[in-house]
Amino acid sequence: MGLFETAAAKALASSGVFLFMTVLLIAAAKRISTCIALFSLQSLVLTAQIIAMSRMHHSGEGFVIAAMVLTVKVIAIPYVLYRIVEELKAPRDVSSSTSSSQSVFIAAGLILLSFFAVRPYAGVLGGDQSMLAASVALVLTGGFLMVSRKKALMQVVGLLVLDNGIFLAALTTTFGMPLIIEIGIVFDLLMGVFLMGLFVFRIRDTFDHLDVSKLRRLRG
Amino acid sequence: MILLLPLFIPLAGAIVVFSCRQPRVVVRAALTTGALELAAIGVTVYSIHFQGVLTAGRYLRADGLTSFFLISLGLISALVLVYSSGYLRHVPEGRFSSLRWFYGLVFLFLFTMVAVYLSANLGMMWIFVEATTLASALLVGFYNTEGAVEAGWKYLIVCTVGIAFALFGTIALYLAAVKGGVNPQSALDWGTLMAAAPGLVGGRELLKLAFVFVAVGYGTKVGFVPMHSWLPDAHAEAPSPISALLSAVLLNCAMYALLRFDAITSRAIGSGFSHTLLLIFGGVSLAVASLLMIVQRDLKRLLAYSSIEHMGIVAIGIGLGGALGLYGALLHTFNHSIAKTFLFFTAGNVRENFGILRMERIRGMALSLPWTGGALILGALAITGMPPFGLFVSELVILTGAFSTAHYFIAVLMLAAISVVFGALLYHFQHMLMGKPDDVPMQPALRRSEFAVMGVCALCLVVLGVHIPSAFAAVLRGAMAVLQP
Amino acid sequence: MTFLMNTVQVLLLILLAPLLRGVIARLKARIQNRRGASVWRPYADLFKLFRKEDLVPASASFVFRLVPIVLFAATLVVAAFIPLLHSSALLGATGDFVLLVYLLALGRFFLMLGAMDGGSSFGGMGASREALVSTLAEAPFLLALMSVAIAARTGSMAGMVQWTLGQNFFQFSAVHALAAVALALVAIAETGRIPVDNPTTHLELTMIHEAMVLEYSGPSLALIEWASAIKLTVVMALLIALFVPWGMASSLSALAIAIAVLVLLLKMAVLVLALALLESSVAKLRMYLVPDFLGVASALAILAVVFTALMR
Repeated sequence: MGLFETAAAKALASSGVFLFMTVLLIAAAKRISTCIALFSLQSLVLTAQIIAMSRMHHSGEGFVIAAMVLTVKVIAIPYVLYRIVEELKAPRDVSSSTSSSQSVFIAAGLILLSFFAVRPYAGVLGGDQSMLAASVALVLTGGFLMVSRKKALMQVVGLLVLDNGIFLAALTTTFGMPLIIEIGIVFDLLMGVFLMGLFVFRIRDTFDHLDVSKLRRLRG
Repeated sequence: MILLLPLFIPLAGAIVVFSCRQPRVVVRAALTTGALELAAIGVTVYSIHFQGVLTAGRYLRADGLTSFFLISLGLISALVLVYSSGYLRHVPEGRFSSLRWFYGLVFLFLFTMVAVYLSANLGMMWIFVEATTLASALLVGFYNTEGAVEAGWKYLIVCTVGIAFALFGTIALYLAAVKGGVNPQSALDWGTLMAAAPGLVGGRELLKLAFVFVAVGYGTKVGFVPMHSWLPDAHAEAPSPISALLSAVLLNCAMYALLRFDAITSRAIGSGFSHTLLLIFGGVSLAVASLLMIVQRDLKRLLAYSSIEHMGIVAIGIGLGGALGLYGALLHTFNHSIAKTFLFFTAGNVRENFGILRMERIRGMALSLPWTGGALILGALAITGMPPFGLFVSELVILTGAFSTAHYFIAVLMLAAISVVFGALLYHFQHMLMGKPDDVPMQPALRRSEFAVMGVCALCLVVLGVHIPSAFAAVLRGAMAVLQP
Repeated sequence: MTFLMNTVQVLLLILLAPLLRGVIARLKARIQNRRGASVWRPYADLFKLFRKEDLVPASASFVFRLVPIVLFAATLVVAAFIPLLHSSALLGATGDFVLLVYLLALGRFFLMLGAMDGGSSFGGMGASREALVSTLAEAPFLLALMSVAIAARTGSMAGMVQWTLGQNFFQFSAVHALAAVALALVAIAETGRIPVDNPTTHLELTMIHEAMVLEYSGPSLALIEWASAIKLTVVMALLIALFVPWGMASSLSALAIAIAVLVLLLKMAVLVLALALLESSVAKLRMYLVPDFLGVASALAILAVVFTALMR
């Protein structure tokens, strides 16, 4: 048991590495379903982190939050998104405005940027720089995905990644907030995803395409 | 306990409306709920006036500031409900686009906004501000046209991203509070934070970071430039009563959130940083919006940019600090709500009669639609801050505040922008009112419901422009006392 | 004793290379619901080729005859760099990663020369494609190996393996993760597997490696095919040795060596399975997308090098 615990502890201490890998892979991905799977993986890493911290702080609330994140972010939201992708019957490629390798270069640049952004706050936040850098990287990559991907559903995925980053930032700095607030935040996210899915179908029905870069009727 | 009334009446109303089948019953249920809500808000305001701060459980709280904003919410929502009962006779059938859905969503929207005003906890406030976005997105896309769907999508995405940044700011504030020694369980409670704020000086950088993110995040909902891209689209494509709700109530809601955060930050590290940031956002919004108003072609888009401009003025008022600036800002939110509601109702009437809102294609309204034309002139004078309307008073107070605190640049900017806006509105409306009307069949007189609500708005504007009633002034003073103890 | 072990390692790499090829082909066939040829088929092919006549095009120069020898020799030397069962290799102390990359590049360069020397248009086409792929693959190859070398503070392959053996398995380092992914992508390009190149294609227009060896026959072809198989084995062994070397024998006792053999077989099996699955599920990239693929590898490798400074 001791060996397992130490192994798990060390693995979680370096879970920042996993998150960086998901950031780079989501930038390189060419299919929407790959991006959804990577988001699910990110949320799984987040859940593991919450469970580890709950054990460390001996808080029961943390396990509830972990269960909630697992149900909603790892299972429910990706499932909903997969169903939407299937129902849309549209081409499943990501329609990016930058090529795969350019996106990975930009994502790598964003990761480096996040490291430099976190450095001044190292004193305030204690030692765990790589997790906070990972959260900033997630936020920046989410934003990059929203801006460079032209499919409406990819904007939703980018938003989810951005939200993951903010959630992780909350986790690493404060070990989460009171339980009811966390529940409210996750519930809001779930409702948001439902609504966005609804709108994606409306866009498809009204415009006959899903390319948000062509939604430029209202300007000025 | 009283606090639960204004919170749950809209929710109950939504449930009742969703379970009704016939349109007439729906409308009647909606109007009844609106009246009940108005009464509940009245009772709440009265109680706050006599009891000070009201709380219910750990998460609900109402003080002077709450009562001030609740008054404007109650008034505008009642007017909007009455107006919609006449306006929405021909609703385009579609999924989520029926009379039932309209009123149901409006009540859900009202519920979320009342919850924002009544939250004691900054986290809960965040949850409900995000919920307002979700509740109103379907209302923005109500007409299911290309423009409406695009506007709804943009609204949903941009506001959700903005609110996510506000969450980060809230977390940073929470972190600063916990590090400053506040009990983690209550470190998001506004009352606790206000009390503990002077002791948070140590986390200066963190508090500044928190305020920047909150200003950007909630500023997206308020419509500060450059995060305003969703606002003209959403306010223009939504049905006119919804545009009124969005411009007059939702923007105030977001501004309320900013006020709460500004109060904590100012108490902790002094008002220099937060007020400078608000002045910058306000000034830029004012300048950009007033310039963009010149080139607008759609009436409701023009009104939307006017909302951005006025929110800029409110931000400037808050940013000037001191009693004058804050008084002017709060009064301005109220006056702007009423004036903007009036104008959006007029725009609704224009749309009903002409079918379009393109200003260059509308001519001769003075002859063909005298009442609407008159309302348009009235609205234009009111919104540009002419006496004897209320906005004149609030803008004058803010300008006085600017000169008295030696912010001469801001004062000059404000005067210039208001002049530009006056010119733009005059140009656009003159084009619509003068000339020969086309031979299009119209309804020259206003409906009874329209006339009633617009009359109420005009009356309020004139009253507030001439003499602020002492009861209202008391509520205003109470609100200021909360923010500047 | 160590010398004997290292020689055995090299011989294993060389002699078992065709078997690895056979296993991969058989596994792919099974995954694709075919029966597939026997796993010993590559040996039969080599045997057959050695007994056949060596035909040389009339327009070819001496370079054409030199190519198989140089290629085989270079690949042989590289095989001597890689620790397999024991954390040392025959040329482990002197063989550093730059030499490894450039020995492989030397072999490839001569193959390209020979292809162009053969005088057929397919040879020229294959050579130009190979030039594109190898140029783009060289940077990430070097950078990924360099990042691991910087982390291990040594340039020699044996040194790097010894350093990694001393690390804790569960403490994932960002440098190694990034370098591993980058090297995996480069390995696919270097050894000419799907999605960069199809090693079993019959269509000349989709060939890269096959087009270069179209003109060879007899023992020359046998040497080239064998060198290609050794290259695949060497690259796989490199990946295993650099990133998951735990299980290698640290002493030379019979027990340690037996464990090392078993562990090696397990790791190779996993890699072979992964490769077979990848080749069966992904389509070959069109030529203009290959630079994109290698661009991703370059970005990851550059990030790995930058991380060696950040994660100190």
